Amino acid sequence: MRLFRLTIATIFQRNSWAICAFAVIAMPFVLPVISSATEKPLLLQPARILAAWNTLWICSLSWGLFTAAREGEVNAKSGVGEYFLTTGVSATRQLFEIWLAVFCFISPLTIITALICQFAAAPADPAEHSMWWTLNLQYASLFLLVIAPLLALATALASRFGGITGFAVTLFLTLYGLYGVGYLDNMLRIEENPLLQGFLLFSPQYRFADLTQRLYFKSGALPPAAFWMMIVYFAGILAVYAGVSRLCFRTKLSA
Amino acid sequence: MTHQAPSIHLDSGLEIGYGSPIARFGESVILSGGTHFLLARNGRGKTTLLRTLARTLKPVAGSFQVEGFPQYLPEDLRFDASITPAMIFRMLLPKARLADALELAASIELDVRKPYGRLSTGNRRKTNLIAAEFSVKPETGNILLLDEPFSGLDAFARQTFEEIWRKSAANVLRLVSCHPDYDSMEMPSALMIEGKSARHLQGNGQTWSQLKSLLN
Repeated sequence: MRLFRLTIATIFQRNSWAICAFAVIAMPFVLPVISSATEKPLLLQPARILAAWNTLWICSLSWGLFTAAREGEVNAKSGVGEYFLTTGVSATRQLFEIWLAVFCFISPLTIITALICQFAAAPADPAEHSMWWTLNLQYASLFLLVIAPLLALATALASRFGGITGFAVTLFLTLYGLYGVGYLDNMLRIEENPLLQGFLLFSPQYRFADLTQRLYFKSGALPPAAFWMMIVYFAGILAVYAGVSRLCFRTKLSA
Repeated sequence: MTHQAPSIHLDSGLEIGYGSPIARFGESVILSGGTHFLLARNGRGKTTLLRTLARTLKPVAGSFQVEGFPQYLPEDLRFDASITPAMIFRMLLPKARLADALELAASIELDVRKPYGRLSTGNRRKTNLIAAEFSVKPETGNILLLDEPFSGLDAFARQTFEEIWRKSAANVLRLVSCHPDYDSMEMPSALMIEGKSARHLQGNGQTWSQLKSLLN
């Protein structure tokens, strides 16, 4: 795991992760205070939920994808990937080690967000409170399942097409999956279009993994059947992205 | 401790290049532990041969065998600018060898606390070389393919590395591409690429001054 250790150390040394860590810890407490929630204490906890999870999404989609893309590009361009390849570290293994290093920064941020939500924004009502753990756990699991293959894809695309492409494509894909598919779905309800319907069918429905509104409106945990269906759906996307990432990933610039 | 001796067998007819051949071995070549120099003018295939032997590039024709743990150190290998050599060594080297690596770094005046991006070309080269040299596996044969390791390196550091190379000649085979800068440099074993043909020249007392006239 030498490449993993080197990548971890490199990311750690750059310090930009600290900004994300600070944002994820501080924003859920700072943003509600400077919002209209101060006038209505009842809104303080929902505001904290919004701040916590939205900060995590923003940090993961900006810093996370950017870092993953940068590491993939640097590995291919700097000769490090080629060096490791000659020592027997295969391209698959290199992609895994780089991905794991970035994921090791994203997963604690997710856990921190879930814990803030659990302990600083839990509802007082005992019935709602009992579901809070489950919902937070479900959200954290789905979030990690969504972000993990996107990090690998950003790394792989960047290693082949450059850092900007790796970052931009995965960012667009995520935003489309979070918001674009919703608009497309609404549009198709008004006017049917078989072509767009097919496009929608094969689009990544990341909006289902965003449980912020469910927490916000205290709608309770997802029913187990629905949750496991989503796990299987996002695991399927993970498998597809893992395959695409491996096909795209390269350890050195072509001659 | 017994270990498998490192070796490289280049079969007769081996052709290297990117799609079309740029050099061909007319006779088979066998290299064993020790230091072997790879000499050619610019663009004649030194890096191509090293990459071929490292298996990151396919030969155009022919075959070869490499026995031992390989490491190819590209000439343009560079680590992230923000990371320090000390951290690179800590991440890449076995714990048991870290102290020796840091000691060597100190002896050749490599500031291991300075970020890699702020190091001079020579000091970056020292960092890369130390990382590769101390990644050598003592229990097995090793192949080190070094692309221009001396460029930018000061004479003292170069001497220090050559000393290390002499001491570990039994279980490390080093193929070193370089453009020597002094005539008396001894090269008892040299792979030379002249025009489009490559061959192995060896002899005790063989020096760069004798070999350079052969390069066209």
